[in-house]
Amino acid sequence: MRAGNRLPALFVAALLLQAGPLHAASTPSIAIEELSYRARSVLPAFFFLGASVTPQAVPVSAPQGPTVNPAQFDNATTLEHDLRAALRSPLSDTRLTVTGGTARLGDYSVGSAERITGHVVVLKGNADIHGRIDGNVVALDGDVVLHPGAVITGDVLSIGGHIRQLGGLISGSQMEVDAAPTEATISIPSQVAQRGAGLLGIGLTLIILGLGVVTFGRPNLEIVSDTVVHSFGRAFLVGLLGQVLILPTFGMLIVGLVLTIAGTVLVPFAAVVYVLIAIIALVGGLLAVAHAMGETITRRRMAQGIMMSPNAYRYVITGLASLAMIWLAWVGFGWVPVAGAFVFAGAVLLTWSVATVGFGAALLSRGGMREHFAGRILPPELMTDEYLWATPQFGVPAVKRPPKDVK
Amino acid sequence: MIAPRAFLALCSAAVTAAPVAAQSMRTVATSRPVNGERLVRATVDFGAGVVHVGASSGTDLYRMQLRYDAERNTPVHRYDPRTGILRLGLEGNGGSGLRVTSRAQLSQRADFDFAPLVPMALEANLGASDATLDLGGMTILSLTVRGGASRSTVTFATPNRGECSRADFTLGAAEFDVTGIANAGCAEIRVEGGVGKAELSFDGTWRRDLKADVSLAMGSLTLRIPRGTGVQLVASRFLSSLDAEGFTRAGDTWTTPGFAQAKQKLTVTVNASAAGVTVTWLP
Repeated sequence: MRAGNRLPALFVAALLLQAGPLHAASTPSIAIEELSYRARSVLPAFFFLGASVTPQAVPVSAPQGPTVNPAQFDNATTLEHDLRAALRSPLSDTRLTVTGGTARLGDYSVGSAERITGHVVVLKGNADIHGRIDGNVVALDGDVVLHPGAVITGDVLSIGGHIRQLGGLISGSQMEVDAAPTEATISIPSQVAQRGAGLLGIGLTLIILGLGVVTFGRPNLEIVSDTVVHSFGRAFLVGLLGQVLILPTFGMLIVGLVLTIAGTVLVPFAAVVYVLIAIIALVGGLLAVAHAMGETITRRRMAQGIMMSPNAYRYVITGLASLAMIWLAWVGFGWVPVAGAFVFAGAVLLTWSVATVGFGAALLSRGGMREHFAGRILPPELMTDEYLWATPQFGVPAVKRPPKDVK
Repeated sequence: MIAPRAFLALCSAAVTAAPVAAQSMRTVATSRPVNGERLVRATVDFGAGVVHVGASSGTDLYRMQLRYDAERNTPVHRYDPRTGILRLGLEGNGGSGLRVTSRAQLSQRADFDFAPLVPMALEANLGASDATLDLGGMTILSLTVRGGASRSTVTFATPNRGECSRADFTLGAAEFDVTGIANAGCAEIRVEGGVGKAELSFDGTWRRDLKADVSLAMGSLTLRIPRGTGVQLVASRFLSSLDAEGFTRAGDTWTTPGFAQAKQKLTVTVNASAAGVTVTWLP
């Protein structure tokens, strides 16, 4: 017989010898589960799979060392965190103080004649209970297996394993928590791609909104934009004040409506309208700042002799592209430890400042309907290119000059 | 040759930089055997996701199975055998209260099962959950359901084993459906709704006269009542309609003929503003 042909026979023999006969009182389903459990426990050793942890007692840690209290499982995830934090490499260096109990490393078995008083914490192994434990049982990365005749008077917690009750009795609660997932990682290129896609999406949305505002509300946008340019500081302060007062104003509005009794029915509508107005003021203000930035950039480039069409669409797109630059820096370098956080904070601060100025300008100009702070001294009908660029005509009007042919 | 060096530095930084942790969902399962408990005061907290509450097998006092967003929530499992106070569910990390902050939270799922034979005062805080409460056959002594922007269905398919003194349903912007209210047998039922749709079916086995107090700010309220039940409806309405067929009106009170002599009586007080109230009869 070849060696390979002996493997099944050896496996069955190991299985049968592993933990004695199946319990006579077991129901068929429990018997199958027990057989399955024994098979799974035999397989790794049989095929020399996995480096099993050498069973041993875990020494008590130094006074300031790792300590856990498994008296209650109110917060199993915290207990798991503490247990994992206590593990050392190699595992034999692990030290842990268990309040009111003991800790074990690797597989641990309580014999049918044994009686343990106190909590039992088993790290990186299974807890096979045949006897009695007067306390709680915790297994980290292992199963808690109750065999017929076993008694646990307290609670049982298995982290990263299962509680297998092949028999016996658990007086307290049972809890299974799956192991904390090994941190799934996102590679830096995919992180950059994700953030870039997010930025692109937000940018495109703002561009579409901006083009819509230019198409349908250009005069208002230009007045808000001019307010940003001519009353920058005032707009920032008003925007800041507006942010502070936005919630109290909302509360006053709602309370006022409720107090008028008849206005109660308007509360939902007023709430929706108020929120919409706030959003429009914020986004519209941001677009107005982008417009102002774009206009400044465009005029500077034209002054350098670069020919381009100065129109509001270009202004908005140019301004938004400028605002996106710092976020682009975050997309590219946000993954860099520390520096990435600074870039992110800078981007947030800049965007908030811009939004505050825009919001304030929108409030100052009443949504682009009031020109008082827009720096427009002359009425709009005189604000033409002819006025701005043509040479002023002084002296005698041309129509009153004598004709050339009259001598 | 500064540019190639900078490029190499950038590449090496990209390769050696710490990876970014991704969001993770975790599972928790817990249970406890019945051990002669006489009363359990159970509170279930679940902020967002799909939640089911029902009866367990007779041997489990409670059983909870959770799938939750571990970045934002922590499972709660507290039971004091001396007082019978039980708290199960989720709580937000780093603060009180529950709030929906990510789409992953909406894929959370929870199943809470309780021993049908153990008398229980049940309180469910469902937040923005899609909740189903199958409470038929349980021993409910009192019931409180609170929901924010949720869709909740409460069903008593079979008669309550306990003497239910009170059922409170407090809902925000919710869709809410209670069936088998007669099976629940709660002496007083109070529904307080904000904006939404509420349907109350008073079907099932009547053991006592019932009294319901319903307040609804905006939306629709449907009362489904078995035909033959004596009903007195006191409605305080503001900009609300009331569609009640087969009632006789006297001021703000609508009464079915033969109310005083009816074997099973239902008294409903409705306080509605900007709501549509409809009464339909069950065969």
